[in-house]
Amino acid sequence: MFPAQIEEYVRPTTVAEALAVNARYDEGDALFIAGGQSLMQALKSRMARPRCLIDLQAIDALKGIEYSDGVRIGAMTRYVDIAADERLRGRNAALRDAAAHVGDRQVRNRGTIGGSCCWNYLASCTPAVVLGLGGRMHLVAADGTRRVVPATEFLIGPLETARRADELLEAVSFAGATDRGGSAYRKWGLVKDALPVVGVCVCVELDAAGRCSAASIALSGLAAGAQLAPAGAALLVGSSGDATTLARAMDAVAAAVEAQSDKWASTAYRQQLIRTLGADVAATAFARATA
Amino acid sequence: MQTVRITVNGTQYEEAVPPRMLLVDFLRERLALTGTHVGCTYEGVCGACTVHLDGEAVKSCMLLAVQADGHAVTTVEGLSSNGDLSVLQQSFREHHGLQCGFCTPGILMNMTDFLARHPEPSDDDIRHGLIGNLCRCTGYVHIVKAVREAAKTLAGGAG
Ligand SMILES: Cc1cc2nc3c(=O)[nH]c(=O)nc-3n(C[C@H](O)[C@H](O)[C@H](O)COP(=O)(O)OP(=O)(O)OC[C@H]3O[C@@H](n4cnc5c(N)ncnc54)[C@H](O)[C@@H]3O)c2cc1C
Repeated sequence: MFPAQIEEYVRPTTVAEALAVNARYDEGDALFIAGGQSLMQALKSRMARPRCLIDLQAIDALKGIEYSDGVRIGAMTRYVDIAADERLRGRNAALRDAAAHVGDRQVRNRGTIGGSCCWNYLASCTPAVVLGLGGRMHLVAADGTRRVVPATEFLIGPLETARRADELLEAVSFAGATDRGGSAYRKWGLVKDALPVVGVCVCVELDAAGRCSAASIALSGLAAGAQLAPAGAALLVGSSGDATTLARAMDAVAAAVEAQSDKWASTAYRQQLIRTLGADVAATAFARATA
Repeated sequence: MQTVRITVNGTQYEEAVPPRMLLVDFLRERLALTGTHVGCTYEGVCGACTVHLDGEAVKSCMLLAVQADGHAVTTVEGLSSNGDLSVLQQSFREHHGLQCGFCTPGILMNMTDFLARHPEPSDDDIRHGLIGNLCRCTGYVHIVKAVREAAKTLAGGAG
């Protein structure tokens, strides 16, 4: 298998240049390539047949993690770099949980947070974590217009996002570390570190007394794509993360979701995975919030 | 056609390639470096085509040759020097880390990068590091052993 004919390959060093090349082509005829760990499969299967590839590898402004009031992760930051960054802790620790177990070492050496979010594959880890942590997507268009879209609006559904064809994702940002915030992510797949059949992300904020003041739960692996589970999250609020509450919250999540039945897992098995993984992930998130 | 300059195993090659040419095909068909294998026909799951791009393990079926323009690639042919096997290669030989050998080049490339970053790995670390390489002969036991013994040898040599 190899890609269909590609007329032009460019490697710009600035975002403006990348967008200018993109603007020369009709919608879909030019594609950005980040780590290529999803796009190369699509090119080789010829699901995608772009005339032009715009390689983002040499745009330094898209790489790296900045810490100020919040945390800003450049779109071209790779899994290997996210997994290794110990400053992503407390309420942002789930980013490292996910990045450290994406696929395998070779995939983590190439794949990026931006590529994963823009692809928004249903069985993927990053979109669910970005949702669970309340991520914000920083987009820039060819005319220089910038907009910030909450992940809840950006991640529309499998292989669909709110990014317009003339826009590039520059970064994903998150709230900074708080005194009592914690998050975690875990998935289950057919083999270790494989694509998630089900993955659960939990993020909690505790008050001075150790009670949960805000919570979110996000899921990966479901047919409708990465999604929040607000009914379950509401049950965590006010609790101190005791096992009974965690189990009740995850029962509510499992009961509320539409979990598909396919060759990987039945609906009942997916619901059981949500309960089991979910309780464990929530306990880790609470523990990190008090650490 | 696009002209690329890619340094492979220390030698710079300048070649005109179509943009759609995969890096693995460039290595095998243009440079006749057939040690890099194609296992899963390019889905990116088997790891047999693993090479180093600027020192890091990557799957060469998931990259275009044009993306490697200006970069350094190391293939399995570049691991030995003057005919002397690397410590990891020697360890695979001593500890029977291969049977049919098809997956071996990719495993050697991945684990060379792995050992550089994890000089004192546990067996769990090694198994986790091997996820991106499928071996259908060995059951991995001897591969894990070969990597573990290589780590010991390298640590001994350094200390
Ligand atoms: C063997 C294997 C195992 C995997 N396992 C997992 C797993 O366990 N969990 C998981 O979540 N994923 C997994 N993946 C997928 C992996 O996470 C991909 O890296 C990711 O989905 C895509 O990121 P990328 O940087 O490689 O993007 P690319 O493949 O380069 O691009 C993906 C899409 O995003 C667009 N794009 C990229 N960057 C931008 C940008 N800045 N602005 C606008 N558009 C952009 C591209 O045009 C393309 O359409 C696996 C992949 C492989 C090959």
